[in-house]
Amino acid sequence: MTWDLTADRPIYAQLIEQLELRICSGTYPPGSRLPSVRDLAQEASVNPNTMQRALARLEEDGLLYSHRTSGRFVTEDAELIRKTKNKLAHEQVQEFLQRMKDLGFEYNEILSIITDIAEELIK
Amino acid sequence: MLARLMKYEIKSTARLFIPLYAVLLIFALLNRFLNPFETLEAAESFSIQILLRGLSIGAYFFLIIAVFVITLVIIIQRFYKNLLGDEGYLMFTLPMKPWQHIANKLLTAILWCVFSVTVITGSFFILFDSGQIFEFLNYLKDSIKQTFGTAGFLVLPTLVIAQLTAGLMMLYNAMALGQLFQKNRLLASFGMYCALYSIQQVIYVICLLLLANTSFLSLIRTGAPAPWDMNLFLGTLAISGFLLAAAHFVVVNYVLNTKLNLD
Amino acid sequence: MSNLLECKNLSKHFGPVKALDNISLSVGCGRIVGLLGPNASGKSTFIKICNHLLTPTSGEIRISGFHPGVESKKIVSYLPERNYLNDWMKVSDIISFFSDFYSDFSKEKAYDMLKKLNIHAGDRLKTMSKGTKEKVQLILVMSREAQLYLLDEPIGGVDPAARDYILDTIIGNYSENATVILSTHLISDIEKVLDEVIFLREGQIVLHQTVDEIREETGKSVDSLFREVFKC
Repeated sequence: MTWDLTADRPIYAQLIEQLELRICSGTYPPGSRLPSVRDLAQEASVNPNTMQRALARLEEDGLLYSHRTSGRFVTEDAELIRKTKNKLAHEQVQEFLQRMKDLGFEYNEILSIITDIAEELIK
Repeated sequence: MLARLMKYEIKSTARLFIPLYAVLLIFALLNRFLNPFETLEAAESFSIQILLRGLSIGAYFFLIIAVFVITLVIIIQRFYKNLLGDEGYLMFTLPMKPWQHIANKLLTAILWCVFSVTVITGSFFILFDSGQIFEFLNYLKDSIKQTFGTAGFLVLPTLVIAQLTAGLMMLYNAMALGQLFQKNRLLASFGMYCALYSIQQVIYVICLLLLANTSFLSLIRTGAPAPWDMNLFLGTLAISGFLLAAAHFVVVNYVLNTKLNLD
Repeated sequence: MSNLLECKNLSKHFGPVKALDNISLSVGCGRIVGLLGPNASGKSTFIKICNHLLTPTSGEIRISGFHPGVESKKIVSYLPERNYLNDWMKVSDIISFFSDFYSDFSKEKAYDMLKKLNIHAGDRLKTMSKGTKEKVQLILVMSREAQLYLLDEPIGGVDPAARDYILDTIIGNYSENATVILSTHLISDIEKVLDEVIFLREGQIVLHQTVDEIREETGKSVDSLFREVFKC
């Protein structure tokens, strides 16, 4: 998974999203240890302080917890991960709907397009 | 830390001086075996042999001059390039004081001047019969003793070192002042050298005029001055050399400390 | 003193030209700072003053409390925008030189970085390309455990792969006790790596803000903001 960062939004906010995505998708499974701040910053080519801030924020949210000596871990709270997943799904769908609306589609039209494409994919 | 600077300075300059010295000594050796003086004296008519030997002895004397010239060029270049050129970006960001850089260049330069003279003298030993040279050195020793007394062996070398130090410091000062200009720094350095030289001459003349009427009266009046008077005169010259060198040092140190203007 | 670099009303004039005009700023520890501005905006002049290679016309500058001098040079690691190494030296010679003069220099770190970049310590600099020489200089500078790294145009002349390596090295070398200030005009490549940026124009500070503040407030990248501010 590559770190996709756009140029127009705060890097900090984007890092939070990307980390959440990695936790929900299982790239960093529940209970696993995260790479160090420096390694993560190097991987994403971002400022270590910014990465540190994003991680601290996720810790506040409970998705991560840290052991004083052994580093930072992903929560084992499946419920919390599921909630985060839902939140991300929500955001994705909202964004998608907004763009479809901008294209001039009504909700029922959008729904039928989705069903059509989904059926094709299943075949 | 000055010792460390000097270690690298000697390393960087030795790679230029040692081959130069080697070439001179090899040529001296070559000439010893070819023995051109004898051939030239004994020759009755022109031959290729004479031409070759003439060339070889010519090359040797040319090399002696070259050693002096190259010594001077390297000394100038080490200051100009290593401190005031691109390499200055490295040298002046070392945790060193400017005076340490100046002292480093000066001491190394004096060292190489002494070596150059020593090597040239050494090449005479290779080229000529050592008996002849010792004879000459003895003659030299006696003349010094006669004119200056035993003190001359201390005063004369001191004078040489003092004047050398003053001369080198004036070169450094000219370059330090020359780098203050934004353009044509080399030319500016040369101009500064001329200016400093003129100032120095004026100072010398004024001092001589002042002192001539007092301390050195006997020196001028008598045809053969006493060794004491000679030593007093040369000693004063040596001290004035050191004073001038110190004055240059203060100026260079000030310029490098607060007016450094690397390209 | 909490700020690593502090300057007050700093000016540097070259004749009638004001290379720096009354600059005041402070930078804390553990920051990566971009010093940005078009050519001749005073970036190099500022960095040279920090290194005691130039003396300010007026004003004051302190690094970790010290005026530029021997004490500050011990804790500042400087990469100039030119090649300052003796061509005839071997890389290993230069490494000994650095470790002789800088007590915070780590030989192991230097050799390690050389190995990663496939540069042989026994090679002489004159046999190297311009890009390789620049990499050697960067390795020397980054192998010190300094408090302040001043990198003047570190990514200017190198290819994109080397640029990535340099940025990677800067991030990998990050320490809470050390600050990196780098000057450049290639902003889009580095803005993700920076905490804060300083915009310089004609010797004056136009802006000094964190990257995320800029993005938050303007909705623009630093790069596009820069293009707007310095539009010709």
